[in-house]
Order: sequence, then structure tokens, then C-alpha cells
Amino acid sequence: MTAPYQGHCSCGAVSLEITSEPLWVRQCWCRQCRRIAASGPTNNALFMTDAMTVTGDVAWWDYEAASGNRIAHGFCATCGTQMFGRNAARDGAWVVRLGVLDDAGDLAPKSAIWTSEAPDWATIDPDLEQFEHQPPLPPRKD
Amino acid sequence: MHTGQCLCGQVTFTIDAEPLGARACWCRDCQRIASGSATINVLFPEVAVVYTGEIGTIAMTADSGNTVERGFCPQCGAQLYSKTVEPAGMPMRVRAGTLDDPELMAPQSLIWVESAPSWAPLDFKIPHFEQGPDSTRINGDVQ
Repeated sequence: MTAPYQGHCSCGAVSLEITSEPLWVRQCWCRQCRRIAASGPTNNALFMTDAMTVTGDVAWWDYEAASGNRIAHGFCATCGTQMFGRNAARDGAWVVRLGVLDDAGDLAPKSAIWTSEAPDWATIDPDLEQFEHQPPLPPRKD
Repeated sequence: MHTGQCLCGQVTFTIDAEPLGARACWCRDCQRIASGSATINVLFPEVAVVYTGEIGTIAMTADSGNTVERGFCPQCGAQLYSKTVEPAGMPMRVRAGTLDDPELMAPQSLIWVESAPSWAPLDFKIPHFEQGPDSTRINGDVQ
């Protein structure tokens, strides 16, 4: 399974199509992710928004994340399914929550971040690159 | 007394009971609302859980065939709970991440493992069930 990817929330009110591959896929164990996403970790694929078509009513909530970045979470206004994450530090790209893709194919987390906030009983694949907190941003290309 | 809240704080709750159990659910619908993970649920008697604030609800038929109501905060989208409407009398599933102590109880079993993704790091020290908690157990004699 490769692009295009299709997805929808639990109730079907919001759907999406993405025509490109993600820049990365990683999972986040931060406390905020665990509050919103039925205990976490969230598994997130970063896609360019110009390759993304979203249909339906998405509600947004923004706050300052543990990283210090301004983050907004997009969720279905009808059923509350968490679908998207925007980060003010990343222009033109949103993360898509992996669970909303109908068939994520080979997409799987390659790293785990904020492992310092994971519960004692968490099982984290030892093959994943791990970061105790927020990983550094890659250098900008412009 | 246990306490918890959604991410934005619009919804808070108290629970005047100890957990009846805790488990992780890998059903496809849980993965959809849990950002690709299992939901981690701590079970309580429904009467002991008291929510304050506005709650969005959605009713659905779960993979089990049961009629389930799920609650979420309409302001921040935090997933709060799942409760079974029909059949009645089942424990309420409070999403562990909404508890102020999210480590109140570690999962004691994994359910709906048959729909977990291939990359899921499953804890083989606890029982696995193909589907619901009364379905076929698939990881030997671990108690």
C-alpha cells in the first residue's frame, strides 16, 4: 500500500485523501497525547498539506505543548476522533493520526518520542529510535 | 477518590471506587480514535464515575456487536470513556490517559489482538485474546 491514502474518522463525518508519502512516522508518549488519544501513544505521520484533501467539519484546539511549540489538534466535531496535528514550527505540513487511515500499508512508527513520559508498563519496540523528549528539528532547507 | 480531566480542563471527573480491571483494546475502531494505538481502559462501576462539564457523545455498534456510547470533550476532542448501553450492567471504560494518575492500573490483558497492526509491540507477559475478553486466548497459559 502506497499513496494515495484514504481515511476517515470513526463516524464518517470527516474524510481525507492524501496523494503523497509521509516525511516521517513516529509515536509520541507525551502526557498531552495520552490525555487526548485514549491513553496513547499517538502514532503520527507527517504529510505536506498541499497533498491532502479534507472533507467535513474539523474542530481545532490549540495549546502550548511540552516542547514549547504551539500545537493544534484537529478532531471530528461529531465523534471526537483525533485526526490531525499542526505545529507552528512546521509550515505546510500536518501530522495525520495513523489510526484514521483506512489502510496504512507499510506505514509504521520509526521512532518514539517523549519516552520519559511513557508509563512503566509501556512496550516500546527496541528497534525504534528513541528520544526522552522532543527531538531536534532538522535544518531548514531555505 | 480518583480524579481526572480532558486535555483542556473543560471536563473533569471523580471516581469513588477502585478499578475493577484494566485492559488494552486493539479493535479497529479503537485504533481509529486512539491515533493508531490500542485504547488503554481502566474499568469502574458506572455509578461511581461522575463527570462535570459538557460532553459530546456518539453511539455506535462495536465490533463485539454491543451498543456502545463513547464520550469526548467537544472543546479539545479528548477521548473520555466508553460505556455499553446494551447489554446493560457492564463496567465503564475510562480512558487511562484522562486519569490524573494514568498509571493507576496497568493493563492486565490485551483484547482484539487479531486486528492489531503488524508493528504493534505486544506485551507477551499478559494474556492476549483474539477478540473480546471471552474469546479465544492466543498466548498460552500466562495468568
